[in-house]
Amino acid sequence: MKRLLLILTPLMLLACSHEETELPLYQRFAPRQDLTVAQVKGFQIGDTLKTDVVLLVADDSAAWAELKAEFDIRTSEGVTSWMGDIDEPARRVKRAVRPAWRAMAVHADRTVAFYRIDTEAQRQALMDYQLDNLNQNHKKLNQI
Amino acid sequence: MDEKHFEELWEQEERQGLQRRLQQEYPRWQRARRVRRTALASVAVLLVAGFSFFNFQFSTPKFYDSVACNRNGIAEGHWAAEASRILTIETL
Repeated sequence: MKRLLLILTPLMLLACSHEETELPLYQRFAPRQDLTVAQVKGFQIGDTLKTDVVLLVADDSAAWAELKAEFDIRTSEGVTSWMGDIDEPARRVKRAVRPAWRAMAVHADRTVAFYRIDTEAQRQALMDYQLDNLNQNHKKLNQI
Repeated sequence: MDEKHFEELWEQEERQGLQRRLQQEYPRWQRARRVRRTALASVAVLLVAGFSFFNFQFSTPKFYDSVACNRNGIAEGHWAAEASRILTIETL
C-alpha cells in the first residue's frame, strides 16, 4: 500500500502542476532593470479562443522614451497600435501576416502590450472583445 | 467406548481443532483487515483531495492560464486585468 501511495502521490502532483514556459519576447525584455515585464499565457479573448500577451511597462519617463525609440513610436499621447513582426515586433507588418503581434502602446501608462495573433479567428475575437467594451461604455454613458 | 461417547469426543476434538485454527488464522485475518481499511481510507482521501482540486479549478473563473513577471510581489491577477484593460483603453 505504501508503495502504491509512493507512486500515486508524485503522479498526482505531476498531473496538477502547470508547465510554465516563457515567451521569447518576454525572455528578451525580462532582464531589463528599467522595465516591468509580464507575460499572460492563455488570455481569454472569446468563448473558446485564447492568446498570449506580453506587457512592457517603463518604470520612468527615461525608460519610456527609450522604449518609444526602440519600437519607433512617434506619437506622444493616446494609444498607438500596429501589427508587428513575430520575431522583431518593432518592424511593422501587413494586417494579414500570421503569426504576428498586435501591439498597443498606451502613453498615459507608459505601457506597450503585445497580443499574439496566429489566426484570423483570434484577430476577429480581439476586435469583438474591443467592440463589446465599446458597447458597454456606450451603455454606461447613456445611463448617466 | 460406546458410539455416543465417541461422538462427544469427536465433537470436542473438532471444537478444539477449530479453536486452534482460529488462533492461528485470526492474527493473519486481522492484518489483512488493517491493510484493507488503510487502502480504503487512502483511496477515499485521494478521491476527496482530487475532487476538491478539480472542483476548485473549475469553480474559479480564470480568464488566463499562467502569468510570469520579472518583478516579485505583483499579483498575477493584476497582469491579466491589465491585458484586458489595455484592450478597453483603445476603444475609449
